[in-house]
Amino acid sequence: MIGPVVKELIGLFVDDELLAATILCAVALISALALSGVAPGWLVGLMLILALPATLVASVLRSASRKTRSE
Amino acid sequence: MPNLTTIVSVAGASFVASFVEAVEALTVVLAVGLARGWRPALTGAAAALAALTLIVVALGPLLSIVPIRALQLGVGLLLLLFGLRWLRKAILRAIGIIALHDEDAAFQRGTRELSEADGRDAHGFDWLGGMTAFKTVLLEGIEVAFIVIAVGAGRGLLGLASAGALAACIAVAAIGAAVHRPLSHVPENALKFAVGVMLSAFGLFWTGESLGVGWPGGDAAILVFVALFLAVALGLVALLKPRAAALA
Repeated sequence: MIGPVVKELIGLFVDDELLAATILCAVALISALALSGVAPGWLVGLMLILALPATLVASVLRSASRKTRSE
Repeated sequence: MPNLTTIVSVAGASFVASFVEAVEALTVVLAVGLARGWRPALTGAAAALAALTLIVVALGPLLSIVPIRALQLGVGLLLLLFGLRWLRKAILRAIGIIALHDEDAAFQRGTRELSEADGRDAHGFDWLGGMTAFKTVLLEGIEVAFIVIAVGAGRGLLGLASAGALAACIAVAAIGAAVHRPLSHVPENALKFAVGVMLSAFGLFWTGESLGVGWPGGDAAILVFVALFLAVALGLVALLKPRAAALA
């Protein structure tokens, strides 16, 4: 009972593993730049605005091309 | 004091996202009720709501001891994972790469499987039906609780987000009780598309806030991020749908 529930809870956040990993890496990298003081606030904001939609685009294009190759 | 943009976006996002979750829970509770009887369906659902209340009461106060920046970063990250996952799936469904979720088909499949299975104890209580309703309502309820925390905690608007979620659950329960059918006419993919856009926008906003970004326009920046994710998502659909259709 607990195992499937935990699995489904993780599934709420992780469907395409590569998308989840890319989001985590992007946020970790941007956070490191922000917290170390290397990147000013406006640059951190700009990086988030560019990186997060880009992860979505990459994931959708990858799924679409996988589908195209399989047919 | 929250402005109108914040109030509408928090309550609206919570309502729409919770509505989708409640529709999915209703489909399973109805399937259990019609296939196995209303006693296990309603007992399972009520037990899940009680368990959910205990979880929220036990874990809720922990939110107040987490520093606000850490809370915003954690919530922002989870929102991004949750929102972009939903948005990706909604885009792939809109393009036709994965099949649309069909509430009627899910209901019929669930009803058929439950009708064929055994699972009553010596006293006649139907544990299979009860546990099916319990598990589904608990899981969907945890999703609703997460959505409420995600959209409300960053600004201390948990009450407003909870009101939006509660209104959605009451609306779905009322409609379900009246029609006794799954809500298959709800445009689920369009709602998931909208929710994915909203949650991703909130996620971007909170993540930036936690990292010290002073968004121009304050909370109104959320609307700009909604427009950004919507434009990206619609652009992907416009770009890829003709190709997918040509392959079909």
